Amino acid sequence: MVHRAFRAMGTDVELFLDSTDATTLLAEAEDEFHRVESLLSRFRPASELSRLNRTRAMQVGPELLELAQLSLEARDQSGGRFDPTVYDALVAAGYDRSFELVAATAVVAAEPARCSGHVTVDVASSTIVLESGFRLDFGGIAKGWTADRALALLERGGPALVNAGGDIASAGRAWPIGVETPDGEITLELDGGALATSGRDRRRWRQGDASQHHVIDPSTGKPAEGELLRVTTVARTATEAEVLAKSLFLRADAAAAAVEADERCAPTILVTRDGRTLLAGGLA
Amino acid sequence: MTRHIVRLYIASASVLGLFLAWAGIAAHPWPQTQSSAAGAQAQAQALAQYQQRLQLDAALVRKLTVPESVQAPTPRVRIVTLPPLTTTRTS
Repeated sequence: MVHRAFRAMGTDVELFLDSTDATTLLAEAEDEFHRVESLLSRFRPASELSRLNRTRAMQVGPELLELAQLSLEARDQSGGRFDPTVYDALVAAGYDRSFELVAATAVVAAEPARCSGHVTVDVASSTIVLESGFRLDFGGIAKGWTADRALALLERGGPALVNAGGDIASAGRAWPIGVETPDGEITLELDGGALATSGRDRRRWRQGDASQHHVIDPSTGKPAEGELLRVTTVARTATEAEVLAKSLFLRADAAAAAVEADERCAPTILVTRDGRTLLAGGLA
Repeated sequence: MTRHIVRLYIASASVLGLFLAWAGIAAHPWPQTQSSAAGAQAQAQALAQYQQRLQLDAALVRKLTVPESVQAPTPRVRIVTLPPLTTTRTS
């Protein structure tokens, strides 16, 4: 087993590969994280995403085009709970720079920003047009999507696992993965799939008496105030898992989120803010 | 006889006049007002939204029609008592 750990996309990334000689594959997978980050980070003024957010309309590369399409599909399928146009709501909540700098300097706007902006994606001309007053943020999907891409590179060398700050993609064999709960750590054995966790227990900061965190509820334009602390869910890909985890987390109450996980047959662990752990989606 | 011909000319002229008036109105020869320009913009926006909807539907259909063997396998997951190799957390 070979292992590589590094920082990318504002988080810790780990690569595991069941192989003895995999230096090239590990390097390729790491390079993919850095390459995608340079294209899609909203904190890098020269990134393609930042240029699109400034110009509102432009021809884009295949990565940005695909992520925009996936994000809009996810918004559609989640009834608007997942939304790629929360950029200005994040900025209004104080998350206007990379997270290491936010905690010390956050300034919260008096009014929350609008969400659910109109985005036109023209596949034929590879063009994206943003509604005036809205910008895109792929923080809610890009890590999972990149984990899937890195896994595709790694699994050429054998069974592999990619952990991008909690968004995990795996292939080739069963992998034991820890999930934190108030009652201690649960180990899930994941065989051929992905999982992701979304919640309000990390990437949070205080502004005066108010607690802020990074998961925006598009219906209010403010950090979500639901009953859940975090949600971990399993799906075929890390992209799907990340979207579903966020979508379930944004349910107003834990019981409704558990019912939705059951309906989707998505194995899910839900932790509530008052310290309860619920298993759903066939996980028992 | 002469009176009938006059009546016929008058009736024909009335029909012709009515037709010319209708054609003139239908051709919108006057400049567009601000409200009609706004209407056209709203129509274009609605069509753009409709086009996007069609593109998303097409993408969804493509996804649904991809053979199961080409899609990622359904993950199998269970709770075990092994020590974890790595840990998931809020990303």
